[in-house]
Amino acid sequence: MNSNPQDPMASESAPEYVLTPAEETLRLIASLPAPDGLEDRVHAALNAVPRRHRVLAWPRALRAENGWMRGAAAAAIVFVVAGGGWSVYTRVQLNQPAKVIVMPARMPNAGGFSGAGAMRPPLTLPGPVAPEPAKTSKAKAKAEKKPVAKRNPTFTSTGHGQSSGTSAPQH
Amino acid sequence: MSTSQVIVAGIAAEWMDNPTSAVNDEARQCAEDAALAALVDQYAGALYRVAFSVLRNQADAEDAVQEAFVRVLRHRDTLGEVRDHRVWLIRIVWNIVLDRKRRAKTRPETDDVADLARVLPMKGLSAEELAAAAQHHAHVLACVDQLPAKERQVMMLSAFEELSSVEIAAVLEISESSVRSRLFRARNLMAGLLNHERNLHERSLR
Repeated sequence: MNSNPQDPMASESAPEYVLTPAEETLRLIASLPAPDGLEDRVHAALNAVPRRHRVLAWPRALRAENGWMRGAAAAAIVFVVAGGGWSVYTRVQLNQPAKVIVMPARMPNAGGFSGAGAMRPPLTLPGPVAPEPAKTSKAKAKAEKKPVAKRNPTFTSTGHGQSSGTSAPQH
Repeated sequence: MSTSQVIVAGIAAEWMDNPTSAVNDEARQCAEDAALAALVDQYAGALYRVAFSVLRNQADAEDAVQEAFVRVLRHRDTLGEVRDHRVWLIRIVWNIVLDRKRRAKTRPETDDVADLARVLPMKGLSAEELAAAAQHHAHVLACVDQLPAKERQVMMLSAFEELSSVEIAAVLEISESSVRSRLFRARNLMAGLLNHERNLHERSLR
């Protein structure tokens, strides 16, 4: 490239430029002549390409030389787009209150597992239910309360040799 | 300005000057075809060399050139807007060959050596010398392929003497300073790669 006469800056910067082997090879390849008849083959290939026929052509009034028609068409497009936007803008009501669905607060079942705030807890099969303790009134409970054995005063005075002998099993 | 640019610019100017005249589609199409034919006649060879330098296969390079002109044919409406047709066409074929190279990475390197031996100039060279030269060039090209893509692309395009650094920058869509810095890096990397390969070869001979 530096030896290129079309590139004076390159020749000034490196007047004694020595080609590297790579550049010698590349230049050798770049200077190989094109095969004979290449142009003819290209012409034939171009002639074989099917031409697109313009079935629909712009009317003469709409061609490039008539700029006012293009301007009118552009103005019509702008008008339609702006009108459509305006109609949408006027139909949409602004500042509508937001539709908020208030969900009831879910209280966890007493004594059971909580739903962890899940909106739709799964329906579980009814499992075995532990029997609840029978509720009894206080008076009844007192009545049914077993009487506490009163201490024998003889034991207290004589000591605890007999009682311990009867209560403790002897092996 | 080259002859094809003059032709294309003249045709484009005719369309612009006579917009309201009765230039029908057929006449316009004939004018476009003439402009395209002029481009083919002038730049097909250069595009082929660009394609071959990347693909290293005659048939693939020719296909790439044809594909490039078919793309131009599809976008022939914009021919009048192109400032530099040569750089524009080289950029088109460059993108095509890079794409093809990416897709055909499985090709064995032996094909490259065989193709090189077939196309290298053989004036004054014996068959052995020609085979050795092809082997050497294939080895160098293998080292070039090991370069990072950015540096490799700049180095390959810089081999075309008709492309200035400004035009290389236009093809790769980068700045000219980037072209210079990448080329500098590519040369250093290539020197290192070739030295490394040489050392390995000497060790193997011992």
